[in-house]
Amino acid sequence: MMEMTKLNRRTFLKVSAATGAAAAVAPRLLKAMELELAGKDVSPVSGVQRKAVPITCHFCNIQDGAIAYLENDRVVKLEGNPEHVSTRGRLCPKGNSGMWYSYDPDRILYPLKRVGKRGEGKWKRITWDEALTEVAAKLDEALKEDPNTIVLKYGRNRTGGVLDRFMQTLGSDSIINHTSVCESSKKVGMEPAWGPDIETPDFANTKYVLNFGSNVLEASYFHNPLSQRVAEGRVDNHMKIVTFDVRLSNTAGFSDEWIPVHPGTDGAVALAIGHVILREDLQDSEFINTWTNVTVDELKEHYKQFTPEWAEKISGVPAATIERIAIEFATTKPATIFTYRGPAKHLYGSYNEKACMMLPVMTGNIERRGGYCLPRGMSWPQPKPEPPKPAKHAYMNKHHHPLYPLASHGVSHLLPFHIADGTMKVNVYFTYQDNPVYTNPGARAVWGKVLSDETLVPFFVSMSSHMGEETALADIILPDCPYLERWEPESMPNSLWPWLGIRQPVHKSLGESRENRILMRDIIWKLDPDGSRGMRKYWEFKDGEDYMRHHFDNIPGLKEAGGLDFLKKHGVWPIYGKLDPRTGKIVDKTGREIRAEYGLYKKELSEEEMAGAIIDENGLITKNGKAIGIQRNGKNYVGFATPNRLINVRVDEWAKYGFNPMPTFKRIPWHETMREDEMILTTFKLNVHKQSRSAAVKWLAEIAHSNPAWINTETAKKIGVKTGDLVRVESKVGYLVTKAYVTEGIHPKAIAIPTAFGHWEYGRLATLKLKEKKPEWSHGQEDPDFNNVWWDDKGVHPNDIIPAIADPIGGSQAWFDTVVKVTKAGPNDKYGDVVADWDRHVEAFKEGLRYAYTGDLHRKMHPEMAHWKGPEEAGHESEGSHL
Amino acid sequence: MKTSQIEGKKSGISQPTAIPEVAAGMAAECGARALLYRLLSAVFVEEASAEFLSAMRTPEMLEQLAEVGIGFDADFTAAPLAELVDTLAVEYASLFAASGGFPPVESVRLYGRYRHEPNFEVMQTYQRLGFVLQPGRHEVFADQLGVELMFIAELLERQAEALAKGDLIASRKLEKEIKRFWSRHLGRWVRGYARLIERAAMHSFYREMARFLRGFAEEEIAALGLHIEDADGARLEVPKAEVQEAADPQKPGCTSDAAPPGRQGIRRLQDLRLPSVPD
Repeated sequence: MMEMTKLNRRTFLKVSAATGAAAAVAPRLLKAMELELAGKDVSPVSGVQRKAVPITCHFCNIQDGAIAYLENDRVVKLEGNPEHVSTRGRLCPKGNSGMWYSYDPDRILYPLKRVGKRGEGKWKRITWDEALTEVAAKLDEALKEDPNTIVLKYGRNRTGGVLDRFMQTLGSDSIINHTSVCESSKKVGMEPAWGPDIETPDFANTKYVLNFGSNVLEASYFHNPLSQRVAEGRVDNHMKIVTFDVRLSNTAGFSDEWIPVHPGTDGAVALAIGHVILREDLQDSEFINTWTNVTVDELKEHYKQFTPEWAEKISGVPAATIERIAIEFATTKPATIFTYRGPAKHLYGSYNEKACMMLPVMTGNIERRGGYCLPRGMSWPQPKPEPPKPAKHAYMNKHHHPLYPLASHGVSHLLPFHIADGTMKVNVYFTYQDNPVYTNPGARAVWGKVLSDETLVPFFVSMSSHMGEETALADIILPDCPYLERWEPESMPNSLWPWLGIRQPVHKSLGESRENRILMRDIIWKLDPDGSRGMRKYWEFKDGEDYMRHHFDNIPGLKEAGGLDFLKKHGVWPIYGKLDPRTGKIVDKTGREIRAEYGLYKKELSEEEMAGAIIDENGLITKNGKAIGIQRNGKNYVGFATPNRLINVRVDEWAKYGFNPMPTFKRIPWHETMREDEMILTTFKLNVHKQSRSAAVKWLAEIAHSNPAWINTETAKKIGVKTGDLVRVESKVGYLVTKAYVTEGIHPKAIAIPTAFGHWEYGRLATLKLKEKKPEWSHGQEDPDFNNVWWDDKGVHPNDIIPAIADPIGGSQAWFDTVVKVTKAGPNDKYGDVVADWDRHVEAFKEGLRYAYTGDLHRKMHPEMAHWKGPEEAGHESEGSHL
Repeated sequence: MKTSQIEGKKSGISQPTAIPEVAAGMAAECGARALLYRLLSAVFVEEASAEFLSAMRTPEMLEQLAEVGIGFDADFTAAPLAELVDTLAVEYASLFAASGGFPPVESVRLYGRYRHEPNFEVMQTYQRLGFVLQPGRHEVFADQLGVELMFIAELLERQAEALAKGDLIASRKLEKEIKRFWSRHLGRWVRGYARLIERAAMHSFYREMARFLRGFAEEEIAALGLHIEDADGARLEVPKAEVQEAADPQKPGCTSDAAPPGRQGIRRLQDLRLPSVPD
C-alpha cells in the first residue's frame, strides 16, 4: 500500500505550483455574481430576482450611476449601474449606504411647527395644509414689502432649475447657493481662462500627473469615476503621479511622490514649475501662440520672477525638486494636472488655481488624449412657460456680491453678516439641503446666532428630510424626500463621455414627505389657487414624472430612443457600450474600449454655422453679435467658450478691479507674521463621509465616527503631546479641545482636522445622544440598531473657530488659512469643548473685507497694479457693509 | 366562562356550536376588548383630539382606570382642555413624530429602520383579511402601533359578530388570526416599547397610557395563551416572572379566566368595562 506523503502547508503549496495548467482548463461554473449579473440581483434567501430601479446616486455630488434593488418594495441593496459610462458599475461606500437616508428612524416624515423657543427642540406635527397656509401667509406679507426679503439658501441643488423657478415666480432675486464654501475660487480661477469651471484630467491615458491638493482617491470632486481612471493610468499606463499636499492623504500615499508644501503655497510651486519649463524652453510654443491670448515671449518674461529659489523660500519645497518635477512634467507626454481644494481654499485661491492650470496650457496638454481636457456635459430644456427674472437685484445672490464682483458663484458664507448688518433684509428664509450652522465658517457662533434671532430672521422654513443643525432652528419644517424618492434630471461632467441621467423614486415617499418640486408647487398653488396672480401657470404639472417629461421627451437622440421612458429603464443616456466584467471598461461590440473624443476646441464650424458670420482681425468669428469661433491657420474652429474663443492667460477683467491679470501668487499676509508656536489649521474629508449629512448613516458612522487632529511628530514633541492626548486649538475667534493624532504624514506647520464629526444635531447616531447616561426625553434610545453602537466618541467639529474670510477674486472661503496656536490641553479643558464668539467673528469678517477690491489692503497686496485707478476704474461704487 | 363543543354530524366533520348564553358572553368580552384596543390605538395612532381627551377625562373613565392602577397627574386631569390638547400634541411629536423620538413603528423597534419586513408583513395580513390602510389626519406606516392595535380591534369586532351569530368556526379563525398577529407582531415589540415610553414620557397621560399598554399587552398575551419573546430593545428588562404560560387548548375563548401570576397593579381584562370611546 502506498504511503501518503505527510502534507503540510509547504508541501501543499509546492503541489499548487504544478497545478496551474490543470486548474486553468478546469471547468469554471461559478463567477463573481456582481460582475456576471451586472444590473441584476437576486435575493440570497429566496433566489428571486430583485426589482432593479436605475437611479443617479446623490449621496454626495459626484452623481454616480446606480441601481437600487428592491425586495418587497424596499431597497435592500445599492450598486453601480453597469450601463453608466462614467462610473461603470461601481459605487463608493457612501453610495452603497444611501438607503439609510430613507429608512433612518430620525428622518422627518411630517410637517413640523416649532413650539417654544427657536432651537429648543419642541415641535408640533401639523398637516400639509396648515403648513402651506402659514408659509403662504408669510410669503404674502413679504411680497407686499419687497420680494427680495424672501431669501432661499440652498446647499445641494440638483433640482434641475426648480429652486430658480420658485424664486423667480415669487419675483425674488435673493437666491443664495453654497459654492463659496465649496470650490468657487477654483471655478473663478478657470472660467475666465478657458470657459468652463472644471477640468477633466484624462488619468487613464496619461503618463504623468501633478496633483495639487486633491484627494481624488477618497473625497474630491468626481471621486468615483476619476479614481477608477487614476488606478487604470497607474496600472495600465504606468503613469507617474506626484502629489503636493500638506497632508499624506491616501491619494498622496498612492502617489510616486508626496511633496509636503507649506499650507497655501501650491500656487508658488506651480509658478516655479512654469518658470523652469519656460526657462528651459520646454513649452509648447505653437499651442501658446495659437490658442492663448499671450505670446511665448510675454509668458517667458512674466514667469522670470517665479524662480524655484523664490518658491522654495515660500513653500519649503526644495528648488532642486521643483526643477526636477518641472522637467519631468514638461518632457513626459501626455501629462495632466489635477487640483481641488488645496490650492483654491485660500485668500487668493483663484490665483493659485490659475497658476496650476497654466502648466498643462504651456505644455500644450489641453484636450489631448492623456491630457487636461474640457468637461463634457449635456443640458435639458425647462418646462414652459418660464417665469421672468426678478425685476430688482438683491444685495447679494448666488452669482453676485457687490464687494466681490468677480466671484461669479457668489460669496454665500458672508450672508449672516449681511443679515446682521441689515444689507440683506429677511422676512422669510427658506433653506434647502443646506446646513451652514454646521458646514460654514463660524458654524453655530455665526450662522447659529443669526438664524436663532427672530428679529433678523422672522420666519424660517426648512425643507429637509433630516434634523440638521440648521433645520433644528426652523419655525416650520417641510419634510423633503431623500434622493431615493425624488425625480431629478442629471448630467455631470465626471468623465470624458457626456451623459444625461435621472433620479427616479424607487418607491413611494415615506410618511408625508414630498419631493421639492412638489412642495414648491404646492406653496405656489396655495398662494395663487386660481391662477389670478400669474404664478400658478409656471407650476402646472401633475407630478414629478410629468415634470421630467418636459425635460426629456424632446431631446434629439433621446427622443428617438424613448425619452423619459428610456431613462426610467436605463437611468442614463446614451449607452456607449457594454461593461466588460474582465477589465471593468466600457467596450464596443468588438470588445475594444470605447474611445473618447478629444480636441473639442478644434472642432471646425460648418458652412451652415459660418453663414453670415464675421471674422475680425484677431480671427474671432461672430454671428449675430455672438462669438461662435476663432479662425486659426485658415480654419474656422469653435475654440474655447470664452468671449475671445481663446485661453486667456491674461484675464483683463481682473485688472479692472486691481487684480493681477497674469498668473501670480500672493502669500497669505497673516501667514508671514506667524509666530514660532503657531500653526495653520486645515480640514479634510474622509472617504466614507460627506460634509454634513453622512453622520446619520449607520454603516458609515461605524467606519468613521471621530476625528482626532493630525499633528506632525516633530511639532507634537515640541508641545509635549502624543497620540490620544488632548490639545487645545485656539484661533483668533475661539478655541476647541480635541484629541491629537501624531504622525509623520503632515507638514510640521499644519494641523488637520477631518470634518463630518462632532454633530450636536442630525439625529441620535450623529450626536450619540443615545449614549448619554442622563436620559433626555427629546432623544430616543434603545432602538435595536443603536444597541450595536459600540463607540462613544463622536468627534469635535472645527468650523466654529474658523473665521469667514473670502477670496477677493473667487469669493471662496479661505478654509485653510486659519492660524492657530496648539497647546497641550489644560486641567480645565474638556474633550469636545468648542467656544467661539460672534463679535470676534464679526471683527474677522471686517478684516477680510479689507482685501476686497474696495478694501484698503487690496492695493497694498498688489503693488504691481500701481497703475490701477481704484474701484472707480471698474465703474462700480464702493458698497460697504454697515457693520 | 363556560364553553361547549358539540360534535356535528354533517359530512362527518365536527361542527362546534356555542351554547347561546356562552357565546353571548364571549361576544361581549370580545367587544369589550375591542374597545380597549381602540382606546389604545387612539392614544398612539395620532395626536389626541379634544373629543377623545374629554372622553378620557370623564369621572367614570378616570375611576375605572384608577381601579387598574392607572393614575394621571394634574397635568392631565386639571389642565384646561384646549391647553391639554396643545401640550399633548407637542409631547406626541417629541415622543413619536419628530426626529430623535421613539417612532411607534414595529420596523424601527425591531430593525432600527423604517419600512422593513414587519411593514410589509402586516400590510399583507391586512390585505388578506380585507383591510386597506387609509390616512387619517396623518399618513402612518402599516406597522405603526396604533394601526396594529386598530387591526386587532377590527378582528375582535368581527369575532364578536361571529359569536353573536353562533358561528364558532369563524370565531376560531379570527382568534387564530389575532394570536398569529400577536405572536408575529405586537407581542414581539409592544411590551418593551411601552416600558420605554413609560420612562421617556414627560406628561402623565403618555406615561400612564404606556403603562396601561404594557399591562394590557401582558394580559392579552397571557389570556391568548401565547409564549412570545419580547424582541424589542428593552427586552432585557422584562422580569423573568412575567414570562407567560402556555396556551390551554381546552380554553377556546377569547381570554383565560385566571390572570397569570407576577403582575401587580394591572387587573384582568374582564374587570375592565370601559364606556364607549371615540376612536
